[in-house]
Amino acid sequence: MQNSKTTQILSYGVVFLLLILYVVPLLLVFNVSLKSFNEYLLNPIGIVQNIEWGNYTQAWSEGNFAGYFTNSLIYTVAATGLTIIVSLFAAFPVARGYVMWSGFIYMFFLLSQFLPNPMVAQYKLMLSFKESVSFFGYDTKLGYILLKTTGTGVVFMMFVGYIKSISRDLDEAAGMDGSGYIRYLFQIILPLMKPVIATGVILTAIGVWNDFVGPIMYLPSPANYPITFGLKEFRGQYGNNWPLLACGITIVAAPLIILYTFIQKYLVDGALAGAVKS
Amino acid sequence: MYPFGKGFNRFIPLLLLLIPMALYIVFYFGPSILTVIYSFTDVKNLPGSTYQFVGLDNYKDLFFSGNSGERWRSIINTLIFMFVVTIVQNGVALFIAVIINQRLKGDYFYRAVFFLPVVLGVAVVALIWGMMFDPLNGPVNRLYDVLFGYQDMFFGSFTHAFGYIIFVQIWMYMGYSMLIFLAGLQSVPKDLYEAGHIDGTSKWQSFRHITFPLIAPSFTVNMLLSIIGAMSTFDIILATTDGRFNTRTMAYDVYKETFRGSLEMGLPSALSVIQFLIILLFVVVAVRQTRKREVEY
Repeated sequence: MQNSKTTQILSYGVVFLLLILYVVPLLLVFNVSLKSFNEYLLNPIGIVQNIEWGNYTQAWSEGNFAGYFTNSLIYTVAATGLTIIVSLFAAFPVARGYVMWSGFIYMFFLLSQFLPNPMVAQYKLMLSFKESVSFFGYDTKLGYILLKTTGTGVVFMMFVGYIKSISRDLDEAAGMDGSGYIRYLFQIILPLMKPVIATGVILTAIGVWNDFVGPIMYLPSPANYPITFGLKEFRGQYGNNWPLLACGITIVAAPLIILYTFIQKYLVDGALAGAVKS
Repeated sequence: MYPFGKGFNRFIPLLLLLIPMALYIVFYFGPSILTVIYSFTDVKNLPGSTYQFVGLDNYKDLFFSGNSGERWRSIINTLIFMFVVTIVQNGVALFIAVIINQRLKGDYFYRAVFFLPVVLGVAVVALIWGMMFDPLNGPVNRLYDVLFGYQDMFFGSFTHAFGYIIFVQIWMYMGYSMLIFLAGLQSVPKDLYEAGHIDGTSKWQSFRHITFPLIAPSFTVNMLLSIIGAMSTFDIILATTDGRFNTRTMAYDVYKETFRGSLEMGLPSALSVIQFLIILLFVVVAVRQTRKREVEY
């Protein structure tokens, strides 16, 4: 498309305005996190005068963020890893037609995106699991991880699409050489799927790490809190002490932003592939 | 033909497939169907309790009991939330996607920044805007004061809180819709515009008649995602006002009644079913409308 000078300047102008709306809140949070509470009350918006690093040590120790981070990491790594594996178990035979009625199974799994809200019965189910076996279900790490593990969601659909682009001849050659099914999946197919697995890992990990409702419903013990719930509790504790709360926000957000700058390209491309294909 | 052996080996794929199948049936499909069944019963949230079918009593209770006024308010809020989020979020996202797609310098940076809120998650986003919208010392109130000589209570205002929640929701997910539109825009062949240019089309005409029909699939995807998302998310409400100040929606009510309400599970189940029917209605209408506009090239 031909672009005149004025449209170009206007375009940059619009994008710049929107950038302000996205970047300024983050900068303001960081700015507030460096102020002492007194300085914040006197001058909530201006640039920090006396940097108060002590806020961070205070927030870190009083917010128990180390424990929450560990829990979040456990949930995210376990649920993401399992999701990738069970999605592969579901996607490969369905894409290849190695199980009966694979077309029907595909539609059945696709239905997962359009089902009525399962929350009520799910909650009752988790409670009854807890009643019968104490290590699983409501308020257990294992119960929450399995609840978050799904082999039939968006990752499954992305995998089916990708596997169809891998040649069937490869299966036959491997079978001829005497490779078993499981070995073939993990040694040949899994490495070939690296790009789509990267996308699947990132999408799943974001979903689990940022889950807000799940922990509130299913992980009520402080020992099981992930970082999202921890941040909510931290806020409840420190009400209007915004310098301390801003430290909390920064502590939680900074690692994500740093990680995000590295994986940003995969994520942006991957989110697209996932969304448009499904 | 299955190339990995005979006999027992033939069944390994099925055995492995049973793992995701079991997870799906136990945690999602089963509970989903059970919720529909529960909506016709007097089931209680007590372990081992029995229940009986009560016909449409739960549905009657929803709309013809003492709380029916609040119920209608939730439904109206839900519809407002869905319409405003779907229209504004997709409108802004499409506009920005078209602008960024003209090969602006630093386009990767802009995309990354607009997508960042999704990465940060709702807990962080709610707290960031909690600080921005702090009625005492928040920057936005200072700005209002300077510009209009006016102060707001934001998430603590009975009349305005819901509007601010809608704003935060759109702020958070606009980047996601934008990415989907960008993917659509990048698949439009450039020579079509050149052909149009030779024929003397205006900018608006080339958008209306070349771009729009070709990105209609991304439009369908975005419509579906926003409608289903807006109808069923309530984490942003939970994280900002926790349902106070007239900010309850149906999805929030289902959560509230299940989790912190009485032991009656039939009522929230009935509400889930109604929520599902409304989603279904709007999804069907939206898909029909946008499918009409899709073309092949």
